[in-house]
Amino acid sequence: MRRPRQSLAGDRAAAYLTLSPSVFLMLLLTGVPMVTVILTSLQKVGMGETSGPFVGLLNFRWALSNHAFYSSLGHTFVWVFGSVGLEMLLGLGFSLLLNKKFRFRGVARAVIMAPYLIPSVVAVLVWRYMFHDLVGVINAVLVGTGLVRTPVLWLDSANNAMMSVIIVGVWKFFPFVVIALLGILQSIPREQYEAAQIDGASPFQQFWRITLPHLLPVFLITALVRTIWNFQKFDIIYLMTGGGPLDATTTLPVLIYFKGFTDFQFGRAAAVAILACIVLGLIAAIYLALIKFAEKRL
Amino acid sequence: MSTASFGLSGTRPNRDIGDVHQVFYRVMTYLLAILAVTAVGFPIFWMVICSFKPAAELYVTPPTFLPHRWVLDNYVQLFEQTSFGTYFVNSLIVAFGTTFLSLAIGGFGAYSLSRFDFFGMRAFANATLVVYMLPEVLIVLPLYIYVIKMGLADTLIALIVANTTFTLPLTLWFLRSYFNAVSPSLEESAMIDGCTRLGAMRRVTLPLVLPGIVSVGVFSFNHAWNEFLFALVFISSETHKTLPLGLATWIGQDSLYSWGMLLASAVLITIPVVVFYLLVQNSLVSGLADGATKGE
Repeated sequence: MRRPRQSLAGDRAAAYLTLSPSVFLMLLLTGVPMVTVILTSLQKVGMGETSGPFVGLLNFRWALSNHAFYSSLGHTFVWVFGSVGLEMLLGLGFSLLLNKKFRFRGVARAVIMAPYLIPSVVAVLVWRYMFHDLVGVINAVLVGTGLVRTPVLWLDSANNAMMSVIIVGVWKFFPFVVIALLGILQSIPREQYEAAQIDGASPFQQFWRITLPHLLPVFLITALVRTIWNFQKFDIIYLMTGGGPLDATTTLPVLIYFKGFTDFQFGRAAAVAILACIVLGLIAAIYLALIKFAEKRL
Repeated sequence: MSTASFGLSGTRPNRDIGDVHQVFYRVMTYLLAILAVTAVGFPIFWMVICSFKPAAELYVTPPTFLPHRWVLDNYVQLFEQTSFGTYFVNSLIVAFGTTFLSLAIGGFGAYSLSRFDFFGMRAFANATLVVYMLPEVLIVLPLYIYVIKMGLADTLIALIVANTTFTLPLTLWFLRSYFNAVSPSLEESAMIDGCTRLGAMRRVTLPLVLPGIVSVGVFSFNHAWNEFLFALVFISSETHKTLPLGLATWIGQDSLYSWGMLLASAVLITIPVVVFYLLVQNSLVSGLADGATKGE
């Protein structure tokens, strides 16, 4: 049924009117701020100030010739690809498991969902308690079973800190992958598997020929989403280690925070933030190209 | 399962081998499930039971498994010795404020995006998705400058508005797809029967999308309840701290704040989240899956 023609002008007015608060708020909270960040990155902003004289690309030159930027970039890559890789792997395994029918599956699903729902600060608190070198349960088990002789410094050693942070990140966020993949697994028609079984396909062949092709597009998109979010993750890393020890877990977001709100060098912080966005954009572009390629091949 | 293979027993010559396989397979599934649930659930289990241990027991090496004595001391101390109550109230204000603001503004916007296609609207809908992916740490720099300039530093209202940076795009994107699922012809027939568009929206569409509104509301609430960076940057006084910020200042000071108190506060922060989760469990799961797959 068509809408009466004379109401079109009224519809348009209504549409723009109801949408305008959203547009206004988003411009205020992201559009204008983006302009401000770019302008700030071109200024030399003194401590305690919010703007300053324009200095061209000086802040970018500072960042690109600074050791801290490159080491943070390196830590970001280790953190992002370490955590996303494990999240995808665990997510795949757990979603295949939860796709099986078994008793108490609802309970299992709820427990596995739980880490994703609990606040980051809670996750950090619990894991810091478990990682504690003296009263922590992890060291107690490791020492008790004789696997290690002296308690492991999970967070206070530069070698272990990144691994510990990745463990917490993976525990907190892999359920997202489980949910995304489980939705697809449940949508694969059962007849395809039944037909394959009649043809004598082994479970492995069924996975390779039926499950994987269905799963791949969403798997890649989920990996992209997780990469974008882990790239910009701040709270877990900052709260677990404060970027330490000795900058060992200072990723780009942590560096931006320190530059902006500890050193109060807004120009430099903005420049690093823009560079981080460019890197993230490049990674996303590579993913999207991969996804296009995968879709064409299927 | 077993009855089905029993029924087939006459037609399948290698029935015994098949059954052995199947039993093995089922046992493996259960073992894996138990292992998975134990490994993933343990930190939460540990948090809850340790919050009921008396202070002395928390510092024993090696730690006790179940508490020798279950006590509420940690919870009592939390309210007697810290500003936990204040933080909790602040967090409630911020979370409900954020949810209300983004639902009130985004609800109408999403309806409009779903029903009309005038110039620029599709581009705006796509822009919401990009905004949702923007790094928080990039946005916090300029927002801090505005907050200082407008004299809104250290206020909860600044936090509420800043949180909508992410909850508004979420609301627009999700509610639009919920509105899309309600056929416009339903509204049109109501309008032919004499309803105004607003009346049709209220009487016909709203009841149908209510589950969507509830789950988007829960998402927004959860986001604001967990939000840490904006609070860290905007809030300075003890009376305006939210829970994540308040707790963050206790972390690393375990000489001042006992682990028992920290764990008790962790349990209490988690409770609202769990309650909301149980409330919307099914739509939450499908909504998350939607969000992941529709993420272009």
